[in-house]
Amino acid sequence: MHSIGQIILDNRGAVLDAWLERLPGGAAGARPATFQLLKIELGMLVDKLVAYFNAGDHDLGGPLFKPVEDQAATISAACARDGLTPLETATLIMSLKTITRDLLDREVGGDRDGMRIGVDAVVDRLALVTFAAFVETREDIIQRQGRALLDMATPALPIWRHIILMPLVGIIDTQRARQVMEWLLEALAREEAHIAILDVTGVPLIDSRVALHLTKTVEAARLLGSQVIVTGISPDAAQTLVKLDVDLSSMITRGTLQVGLAEAFRLLAQRNQGMSGSPF
Amino acid sequence: MKPEPDRLDVRVTSEMDVVEARQKARLLALRHGFGTVRAHGIATAVSELGMNLVLHTARGGLIHLTAQGEAGAAVVEVVAEDEGPGIPDIALAMQDGYSTRGGLGCGLPGTRRLMDEFAITSEVGRGTRIVCAMRRP
Repeated sequence: MHSIGQIILDNRGAVLDAWLERLPGGAAGARPATFQLLKIELGMLVDKLVAYFNAGDHDLGGPLFKPVEDQAATISAACARDGLTPLETATLIMSLKTITRDLLDREVGGDRDGMRIGVDAVVDRLALVTFAAFVETREDIIQRQGRALLDMATPALPIWRHIILMPLVGIIDTQRARQVMEWLLEALAREEAHIAILDVTGVPLIDSRVALHLTKTVEAARLLGSQVIVTGISPDAAQTLVKLDVDLSSMITRGTLQVGLAEAFRLLAQRNQGMSGSPF
Repeated sequence: MKPEPDRLDVRVTSEMDVVEARQKARLLALRHGFGTVRAHGIATAVSELGMNLVLHTARGGLIHLTAQGEAGAAVVEVVAEDEGPGIPDIALAMQDGYSTRGGLGCGLPGTRRLMDEFAITSEVGRGTRIVCAMRRP
């Protein structure tokens, strides 16, 4: 009498083909790259399953099952990256139940010695592992995209000697506000800038929280001896800020970036005039 | 016949929820014929109330948005409620410049100025409920 491990091993090719047939959209429907990748990875999963079944110690929490779980997690992560839905991914793993059931029916004429229960328990466990890995991968992707977006959205550009421009685009939450302040101060020091223009044209809404962060940033820059010009507050936002009674009198504000730049040149000229006569 | 009110609820526990709530509030106001300035005002009020939920309660709260009205006049109502710690001294909390979390202290008083109607009830240990509304002139 063959063991379940041996039966699967003897029919490795058939099991794998049946499995690939069950890819979302069928073997023919899957993208070639995905198909090739999954063929290899599912093959490795079959091998690791065989090794686990043959080892004899059927403990799902034990060290022998770990390689199987890891392999399932790898497959799930690959599916998540390739844009398969969680349902498709879980269905793919769960389809192993039907495949082994068919296999057992064919090879030993039905269930023997609780083989099927053993396999079902393994597949159930793998489905859970797969789901967890899938979510984890997606979370990871989302987090990385978030960071990439954050980096992209806040450049500090030296646009003239002693003048830097920081256009803010998008939603300013606490984390982003903190980062804007950090980067602006860093850029001021790095570029030896006297003036920073903070353009908020791309910021959809300025509430008291954002206003607070703007004020703090302006204040911190002032401590470095630099001036900040805030440009691009929309007429809608201006009327709202007045009603909120946010005190922005400590900042230089200009309607548009263009006017802000003119103001920056004026301030720079003023500074240089003050310098004339000094050895610097 | 009066048209059915336009309702939606947003559960607010993080800053991203606040963003969602205020975007929905703005769209709701625009859909009901509010001008951009007033829609912006409503969105800002939702932002202030939402940030209060995030900053002052452990489990966040709910923001209900309702728009109602016909061609002549419409009203957008914003309700923010939570089961948080409550506000011990409402008069103090409504004062400009008063903040327990290092803010500007203009969230609540500012919201009252932004909106046409404003009512706050709070019970220490039970939670806070703020109802405010803006009418389309």
